[in-house]
Amino acid sequence: MKLSIVSSGVVCSGGFGSDALFGKWAEANVSNATGNREHRVFLVNREAGELRRWEKEARLRRASPISYYLIEAANQALEQVPHLDRKRVGVVSAFFLGCLVYTIRFFHQITEEGRRSASPIIFPETVFNSPLSHVVSALGIGGPVYSQVGDTSCWSNALRTAQVWLMRGTADHVLVLGAEEFDPHQLDAFHAGGLFRQSLCVGEGAGAILLGREEVEGGASLLEVNDGFSFGDKKQAARAVQRCMENVPLDCAVMDTASGWMRPLAAHAIGNRRILLHVEGLSVEASTASCAWNTIRAAIMLAKGDEEKIAVPFWGLSQQCGIALCGR
Amino acid sequence: MSVKSQRKVAITGFGCVTALGKNLTETWDRLYQGHSARVPLTVIETEGCRVREGAQAELPNLKNLIEKELRRLSRASRLGLPAVGDALEQANLLDLDGRSKLPRLEMCVSTTACGMEKGEEFLRGVWSGQREGQAARVRHYQAQHQIREIQQYFGFVGPSMIVANACAGGGNAIGHASDLIRSGLADIVLTGGYEALCGLVFTGFDCLLSLAPEACRPFDQGRSGLMLGEGAGFLVLESEESAVRRGVKIAGFLAGYGHCTDVRHLTQPTQNGEMLERAMQMALQDAAMSADCIGYVNAHGTGTPLNDSAEAAAFTRVFGETMTRLSSTKAALGHTLGAAGAIEAILCLQALQSGQIPPQINLQNPEPLVANFLATRNELIEMEAAMSVNLGFGGSNAALIISRS
Repeated sequence: MKLSIVSSGVVCSGGFGSDALFGKWAEANVSNATGNREHRVFLVNREAGELRRWEKEARLRRASPISYYLIEAANQALEQVPHLDRKRVGVVSAFFLGCLVYTIRFFHQITEEGRRSASPIIFPETVFNSPLSHVVSALGIGGPVYSQVGDTSCWSNALRTAQVWLMRGTADHVLVLGAEEFDPHQLDAFHAGGLFRQSLCVGEGAGAILLGREEVEGGASLLEVNDGFSFGDKKQAARAVQRCMENVPLDCAVMDTASGWMRPLAAHAIGNRRILLHVEGLSVEASTASCAWNTIRAAIMLAKGDEEKIAVPFWGLSQQCGIALCGR
Repeated sequence: MSVKSQRKVAITGFGCVTALGKNLTETWDRLYQGHSARVPLTVIETEGCRVREGAQAELPNLKNLIEKELRRLSRASRLGLPAVGDALEQANLLDLDGRSKLPRLEMCVSTTACGMEKGEEFLRGVWSGQREGQAARVRHYQAQHQIREIQQYFGFVGPSMIVANACAGGGNAIGHASDLIRSGLADIVLTGGYEALCGLVFTGFDCLLSLAPEACRPFDQGRSGLMLGEGAGFLVLESEESAVRRGVKIAGFLAGYGHCTDVRHLTQPTQNGEMLERAMQMALQDAAMSADCIGYVNAHGTGTPLNDSAEAAAFTRVFGETMTRLSSTKAALGHTLGAAGAIEAILCLQALQSGQIPPQINLQNPEPLVANFLATRNELIEMEAAMSVNLGFGGSNAALIISRS
């Protein structure tokens, strides 16, 4: 089912709004939680007015950074369509790590100070679907709401959920969100998993696209989502990546989205198709947020007439890969 | 243009592991007899918690895995794999070696804590400077790893969707699987949920003062909280045409699904239960059924003061005097969070097939609004359909209707 990409929203270390994808991204050297290594990371300015203004919302006062990223990205996308019936908007968000900061803080508290000192304020904010609950509450959204979890390919899965809801009339529009927040323990985890062996740069932020059934004059469309090419090891991943690319026409441009150990496998599978090299910030691995940013970049290029069709792969790093075929 | 397909969704296989039993037969026997699985917990550390009891499962054996391989699995996988095996076997999707006959099988699964005990071990490792084994802990924590272990153990690949809508997630996963089939995007979907007890979540509920210090008493005026549990429930859903083509027995139909979000509060439902009522009405409309078709409702019934009163209000408005029987099986099995919706849907199916209604145990002074509807021991009824409802943190509400084959 062909869907229009009606609007979008971005929160990243380059700033706020889709133009931020193409500007200069702020970077910093941050130490891991163990304190024995520093890594280059791309962090959102958590003190920016675009985020702090959401503190006025009672539900968000104590919420984790990821909630702020999500609501700002979602609001950007919704504000571009002022007459939307928000009661008929569904929301599906993709997460890789979700509410990392509060989960670690809560567990640290009960480990160091004892279980009796656990905070009843922090615990609910550790739950995967809390951020999205804040978003729908604050923005007055009334349609179906799913929080989905997985590796980066979770984004293509979320796109598929949106397709189902729009096909079945469960919603008239669907906001698809991807968001991640950074915590230094993530560096320890990525190091343990060997993900830094291929010069991976960690980031955080959020991206949102609003999908609808109506045609948008001069806009971009989501033509097809192919996902679920699952793998358990690198050998299976090589096969999954090849199968993922099989339905992509040879003359279709492919967005450069692979990171870490996936890069050589992706390059091989893409073969002679034209590659749209990433702009500076889009080389950052912010999991589902990166997937959203890459989809938005494709939509912008299509709307400008730079390309007729763009394939945006979401390679995953531990579960499956998927691909979105976008057109004008 | 939207497509509301009338394609019927058959249930051809189902299995569960709970604190009452290593499979559905054991669970059902003890549930129907009115047992509770509440015990002092030994599988997680509870020192310092106000409440130290819950419902912990005995892990079933897993064929073809040696001790070293078993040790690597998260507790979540140890619970999930046997339940998946039972569901696939009943749906005639396993070969003689216990491997999937289908090389590609889609999954829709729910969990809230993934393999959390591995995540806890990883964090402790970071704080103590331990390096050995950290990579495996990171890997085994993630929800997609439990999916991968299911795929590898049974030998299939395919798309997997993990929904984390808190305690309503199990209902959402099953409902979404049904949506995929009715949209024509899948013919067969393995769906369900799993949840293992872990220190972080148990302490979280303890600090919220949500855990019952004594017996969990859903829909009792003296209720004081929930009993946390663990388990897994999986079902094979497929289009009716696919089931007929394969010649497999249809156990029932997933006839209706409704879901919506209550935005009033992060952890408390609106007290008049209006959003749960909406989810139930959506499910009835989806199933093209009236409320009097529903013979049994498996309530969310956590046993917390606010949840049960909101639910009771919603049930009264949806069913009025037509409601027949109602119970919350969480008093017996514990609240299994992301697995609850899946396990409870399976219990609805079992009630439909057997005519036996799980009793509402631990009742002393029933909530007046639902007092006449709460199931007692040894009840047998014939019914056309049953409903399972779930609510969760974040305001998630889900309702499923399961009808006879």
